[in-house]
Amino acid sequence: MSGNEQANVPDENLVRASLAGDEGAFRDLMERYKRRAFGVALGIVGDADEAQDVVQDAFVKAYYKLRDFRFGSNFYTWFYRLLVNRAIDRWRKTSRTPTVSFDDAWVSGETSESEAMVYPKTPEELAGNRELAEGISRAIAALPEYHRTVILLREVEGLAYEEIARILDCSVGTVMSRLHYARAKLKGALKGFRGR
Amino acid sequence: MECREARQKIQDLIDGRLPPGGAAEMRDHLRACGPCAAEEAELARVGELLRLWSAVRVGEKEAQLSAMWTRVRAGIEERKEPWYAPVLHRWFLLPAAAALAVFALLFYPFDGTRAPFHPKSFDVTVESLESDTATVALVDKGEGLPRVIWIIENGKT
Repeated sequence: MSGNEQANVPDENLVRASLAGDEGAFRDLMERYKRRAFGVALGIVGDADEAQDVVQDAFVKAYYKLRDFRFGSNFYTWFYRLLVNRAIDRWRKTSRTPTVSFDDAWVSGETSESEAMVYPKTPEELAGNRELAEGISRAIAALPEYHRTVILLREVEGLAYEEIARILDCSVGTVMSRLHYARAKLKGALKGFRGR
Repeated sequence: MECREARQKIQDLIDGRLPPGGAAEMRDHLRACGPCAAEEAELARVGELLRLWSAVRVGEKEAQLSAMWTRVRAGIEERKEPWYAPVLHRWFLLPAAAALAVFALLFYPFDGTRAPFHPKSFDVTVESLESDTATVALVDKGEGLPRVIWIIENGKT
């Protein structure tokens, strides 16, 4: 099957095939979601190597728990629940504490208006701005783990409030309040930037 | 629309949760109100920066991610049951279960009577008699007349 044909196969079909013993089908599922899973895990644990471990663990667990998947629901919502739980557990074990508080996360009194950083428009522009990229990493890491998870699932993954609530096993209201808090905190941390 | 109401709805607007009429009303307010428009722009920028950040960080690890299947497969193999697990289940667990059943029967025979050495076979009361020597009598007050089953004097039985 070509790459384009594989992309059109619904997740449920791949799950059924995996349950029937088709390891290639499970691999297709993994390839489909590994980048997004890594992005979410990285945002939660903060370290690329640990994020890869988390993604690996989550897919292995998914493989053995695939028989618990309920057809009719979204595979990625089911999988993200496994992923997020493992990522949060891993983050708690490593007990990372942010090295920079939010009060002085980014804006310094020494930075004049003319020296304020420029807001990037593309990943390449951001990649060329190491200081900004690291500042964003610090700002995300300074959030409590569930607030960090909510804003990543909403802004990076584009999940709806209801999907996030299912993944985190909380109410939609809790998702909204955590999102509001996380946005306000990140806005404050990144307020040193001006767009062109 | 007042600014206080608009500020409360900015998140809903960003996340597409306002009905069409409400969204139009919000956009009208933002067009007319600089501070609220700035607030909306800053909050929207947070999302844009996060998406850029995620794209950059994931891109940095593209080489490692291309090898993820190798890692996942290794993890799957590691968790698989060894070939002898079914044999173990049949030749160890079954006999162990049978032994447990026999042990249980020793305490709970089918005819409902108590096994002679079941703790509840004795309805034991500890009584003490004051005397020059310390004496303890263990008395079985089960069915029938009470009977002394043990006497301890001066710590000697």
